[in-house]
Amino acid sequence: MDWQSLLLTIRLSAIVAAILFVIALPVAYWITYSRWRWKFLAEAAVGLPIVLPPTVLGFYLLVALGARSPLGHLWQSLTGHTLAFTFQGLVIGSIIYSLPFAVQPFAASFAAVDSRLIAASATLGASKRRTFREIILPLSKPGLVAGMALSFAHTMGEFGVVLMVGGNIPGVTRTVSIEVYDQVQALNYSAANITALVLLGISFSLLSLVYALNRRVFAGWLWK
Amino acid sequence: MAVEMRDTAPNRAVESPENAVASGILSVQIRKRFDAADPPKKDSFELDIAVELSPGITIVFGPSGAGKTTLLECIAGLLSPNFGRIAIENRVFFDRSLNVDMDVRKRGIGYVFQDLALFPHLSVEKNIEYGIRELNPALREEKSQTILESFRIPSLRHRKPNQISGGERQRVALARSLVTDPCLLLLDEPLAALDEATKSKIVEDLRIWSATHRIPILYVTHSREEVLALGDRVLKLEAGKIIAQGAPQEVI
Repeated sequence: MDWQSLLLTIRLSAIVAAILFVIALPVAYWITYSRWRWKFLAEAAVGLPIVLPPTVLGFYLLVALGARSPLGHLWQSLTGHTLAFTFQGLVIGSIIYSLPFAVQPFAASFAAVDSRLIAASATLGASKRRTFREIILPLSKPGLVAGMALSFAHTMGEFGVVLMVGGNIPGVTRTVSIEVYDQVQALNYSAANITALVLLGISFSLLSLVYALNRRVFAGWLWK
Repeated sequence: MAVEMRDTAPNRAVESPENAVASGILSVQIRKRFDAADPPKKDSFELDIAVELSPGITIVFGPSGAGKTTLLECIAGLLSPNFGRIAIENRVFFDRSLNVDMDVRKRGIGYVFQDLALFPHLSVEKNIEYGIRELNPALREEKSQTILESFRIPSLRHRKPNQISGGERQRVALARSLVTDPCLLLLDEPLAALDEATKSKIVEDLRIWSATHRIPILYVTHSREEVLALGDRVLKLEAGKIIAQGAPQEVI
């Protein structure tokens, strides 16, 4: 078991989940409450990573992060190196790849908040921001935890985008899923088995948490 | 004896003249149209109301689908009428011709929803203080304490809505609306789910409160008993229009 890969994967997943929490909240709020007629286009764009082959997404991300793109060029002028094949590039790619796994549970939990509570908050003079902070967010806790757990688990298991954007640099961009691939390529099945089992265990635990939240197993704890 | 008095009469702090709140005549002249595709109506529907209401309890009575809740939502600012004007004295909430549509948050109207809409994650006290958050803590605490006592629920202050009875939840919802000193109170079938004994106690509370706080109160119901027990006057609605109005005995 390559602990360096595991730690790097956990670090990547934690950073991506934390950044996604900040990004996905306003996106999910807008998707839930906006009455913009063409909103479905934005919803489709956010959901694209679910259906798009990771290599396709990885290819476009590689182009977007490369030195010839405006973003890549700006990054290179600021830091002296490109975004592609770096940990930072991997973080950006993973955020885009896992965005729907945070936005969709968030939006679903916002939509499930009784509209009468939001109307009651308004009649009591609360601003939209205060209603969001004090009513919608606390009542969406299970969906928020589920979204965080799903985006963390999804980032842990990603392969195609990581390979396209980050390559396979030990200690920099080599994640657990790529390590499994390398071990299988080297016919080292016992090592691949151990690494795969660790990934399986973590993913199963996180999905169990999500389903437990959906069944309100922790409802008492979350509403304290 | 003291306990018995607390059970039958609201607290003196609410009855005292210095705490009395007064408001003017509510004028509503609106038309609100729903097409078949518009939520919440399944069929096309038009509410067409023209009425002036002085302070006191007015019962809005009629069958389901008559437009009672739509009327309340238009007055509260939760829905925008297509045409017309809503005002209390010189305070205009809505006027289509002047392009005025005051935000629901700024109208200062108390609204008790049919399902009460108490915030389930907040305690009774936090629910009641939600609408007076901008007050300084001492004044907020005083107002909260006064209204809790006047509705005989001070012992419930730390409980959550799911830890109290239906009648107690009803009192909390009323207290939450009234603590903000609204210029108008809208009640949408607030007692529908309660037993007769609890209902009559709350009706009595509301009557006494209304006597000291001279503001217009619109009380939606389809219960004849509530109409006769509560109303100073009745508006009878059918298919979005007022078909009769007057004293309860005349209309029912």
